[in-house]
Amino acid sequence: MLTYIVRRLLIIVPMAIGISFLVYLALDLSPGDAVSRMLSPERTVDPAKLAELRKALGLDAPLLVRFWIWFSGVLQGNFGRTLTGGVPISRILMERLPATLELSVIALVLSSIFGAILGTISALRRRGTTTDNVLTVAGMIGVSIPEFFFGLVAIVVFALNLQWLPVGGRLLPSYTSYWDHIPNLVMPALVLSIMMTAGVMRYARSAMLDALSREFIKTARSKGLPEWRVNLLHGFRVALTPVIVLIGFRLPILIGGSVIVEQVFQWPGLGSLFVMAVRNKDLPVVMTIALLTVILVLVVSLIVDILTAIIDPRVRLGN
Amino acid sequence: MALSDIARHRSYLDRRFDRIRALEEAGQLKTPSGSRVVRKFMNNRLAVIGLVVFTIILLASIFAPLLTPWDPTKINLRAISQPPSWEHWFGTDKTGRDVFSRVLYGGRVSILVGLGSALISAAIGVIIGCYAGYVGGWLDAIMMRISEAIMAFPEIILVLMLVSILGQSLVNIMAIFILGGWCGIYRLVRARMLSLREEEYVQALRSFGLNRALISFKHMLPNALGPVMVNITLSTAAFILQEAGLSFLGLGVPLAIPTWGNILNVAQDLNVLQNSWWLWLPVGTVISLFVLSVNFIGDGLRDATDPTQQG
Repeated sequence: MLTYIVRRLLIIVPMAIGISFLVYLALDLSPGDAVSRMLSPERTVDPAKLAELRKALGLDAPLLVRFWIWFSGVLQGNFGRTLTGGVPISRILMERLPATLELSVIALVLSSIFGAILGTISALRRRGTTTDNVLTVAGMIGVSIPEFFFGLVAIVVFALNLQWLPVGGRLLPSYTSYWDHIPNLVMPALVLSIMMTAGVMRYARSAMLDALSREFIKTARSKGLPEWRVNLLHGFRVALTPVIVLIGFRLPILIGGSVIVEQVFQWPGLGSLFVMAVRNKDLPVVMTIALLTVILVLVVSLIVDILTAIIDPRVRLGN
Repeated sequence: MALSDIARHRSYLDRRFDRIRALEEAGQLKTPSGSRVVRKFMNNRLAVIGLVVFTIILLASIFAPLLTPWDPTKINLRAISQPPSWEHWFGTDKTGRDVFSRVLYGGRVSILVGLGSALISAAIGVIIGCYAGYVGGWLDAIMMRISEAIMAFPEIILVLMLVSILGQSLVNIMAIFILGGWCGIYRLVRARMLSLREEEYVQALRSFGLNRALISFKHMLPNALGPVMVNITLSTAAFILQEAGLSFLGLGVPLAIPTWGNILNVAQDLNVLQNSWWLWLPVGTVISLFVLSVNFIGDGLRDATDPTQQG
C-alpha cells in the first residue's frame, strides 16, 4: 500500500510543479510586472529608480530563480496582489472560498446519492422496461440542457413568478443566522447537481448491470439469499468502486459547472470571482484560481486512487 | 401438463419466430443488406429521432437565407422588443433585430464551432494517438505527460484561462477548444492501439515487413474508429454547450457575431427574463434540442459499433 501511494505521488508532484511552471510562464509573459503594477500609470518615475526597485525585488534574476521565488511564495499561501485594486489575492480567496465549498459539497452529496439510487433502480428494472427507458432518457436530457438555461428557467419559475425563492445572492445584510440563507442556496445547489446526477446515474447503471452479470451473483442466489440481499449486499457493493472513481473524476465538471451557475445566481464564490477576473483581464487572479483548481483535482485523484486501492485489492497488486 | 398444452401456450417471441420461419419457407425473407452498424443504428428509435432533429436544425442553419428574409445583424429601431408575430416568428430584440433569423444564423456559427472543433481535435488526436500508441517511445511519453497536464484542468477553467491570455475571437475560441479537446481522443486511440498491437494479425503484418505507418493507420485504425466516432459526437455536444456557456457570460465569440450563446447573453438581465421570454426561451430550447439530438446519435453509435453488444 505504501509503495503504491509513493508511486502515485512520484507522478503527481512533478506534474503539479510542471503545471505551476507553465502558469508562471503565462504570468511572466503577460505585459507589466510587479513594479509597474505598484505604481499608478499617470505618475512618471525615474527609470533608474525603477530598475533599482526591480533589482531589490529580485525581478532581474533569471527566469528559474524568479519562478522559485514565486513558487515558494505560493507554497506559503502568498499569491501576490490583484491587478485591479492591489488587494492580496489570498485574502479574496479566503473570503470567497466558503461560498464555493458550501455550494459544491452540497451538490456533490446530492448528486452522488440521487445518481447512485436512480442508476441502481434503472439497472435492477432490467433493460427495456419503462422505468429504465424513462430514466435513461431523463439522464440524457439532464446532460444536454445547458446549466445556465436550467438556472434561468428556475429563476423565472420559482423566483420571479411563484416568488418562493430569492433570485440570487448569498448572505444578505438582513440575515442574522446561518439558516436564513438556505432559501438562497436551494436553486444553485439543485441546478448544479442536475448534470452530475445524470452522469453518476448512467455510470452507476452500467456498473450495477456489470456486477449483476457476474458469477458470484448466481452463487448468492443459489444459496437462497433474499433478492434484496443479493442486489444490495453483493451487487451494489461491487458496483460501488467504479462509481466512487467516477464521482472523484467528476469533480472538475462540478468546479466547471459552478463557474457558470455561480454567475447565474450571483453566488459570491470563487467561480464568479474567476469570471470577473477574466473579464477584467486580471491575470494573477485567473492564474491563481486555475492553479489551485488543478492542485485540488490532482489531490482528489490521489485520494480516489488510494480509496479504490483500499476497496479493490486488484488495483494495488496489478500494475 | 401435456405436450399440447405447452404448444398452445406460446409466447410472443415464439409467435414472432413462427412468422419469420413462415416467411423463410415461402422464400420471402429478405437477406439483411448494408452494413451491420447502419442497420443497428436505424433500429434504435431514439438515435433515428436524434438524427432527424440534428439534420433539420443543421439544414435550417445552412439554408437560413432561404427561410427568413431578415438580416440577423441589421438594427431596426422601428421594431424594438416586439413579441412574436407572423412577421417576426421569435419576436425582435432590444435593437429590433429579428430573433428567428439570429437563431438560424447563430446556428451556423455555433455548429461550426462545435462540430469543427470536434472534428479537428479528433483528427489531431487520432493521428498522434495512432502513431504514438503503436510506436511508443519518447514521443508517446511526452504526449502522455502533456495530455495529463491539460486534462488536470477542469475544461471551463482551462478555456477561460486561455481566453484571458489570448483574447476573444472566433478563431481563438476554436483553437482553445481544440487544444483542450484532442487529449481525450488521443488517449482513447492510444489505449486501443496498445491492445491491438499484440493481436496476431498485427504481428503477421509486421513479419511481412510492412512499415509502421501503414500498419498503424491502414490496418489498426479501422478497428478503433467506432469509439472515435462516439467520442466525436460527445465532444461536439460538449463544445456547443461550452460555447453557449462562454458566450452567455460574454466571454466567448465576440458579441457582434450571432451565436446561440450570444443571443442568450441578454438573459443575464432580470427584466428581460421576466418580460421578454422570446429572447431566451426559443434559443435555449434549440440549443438543448440540438445537444440532445447529438447525444442520442452518439448513444446510438455506441450501441451500434460496440462489438460486445452485437445482436
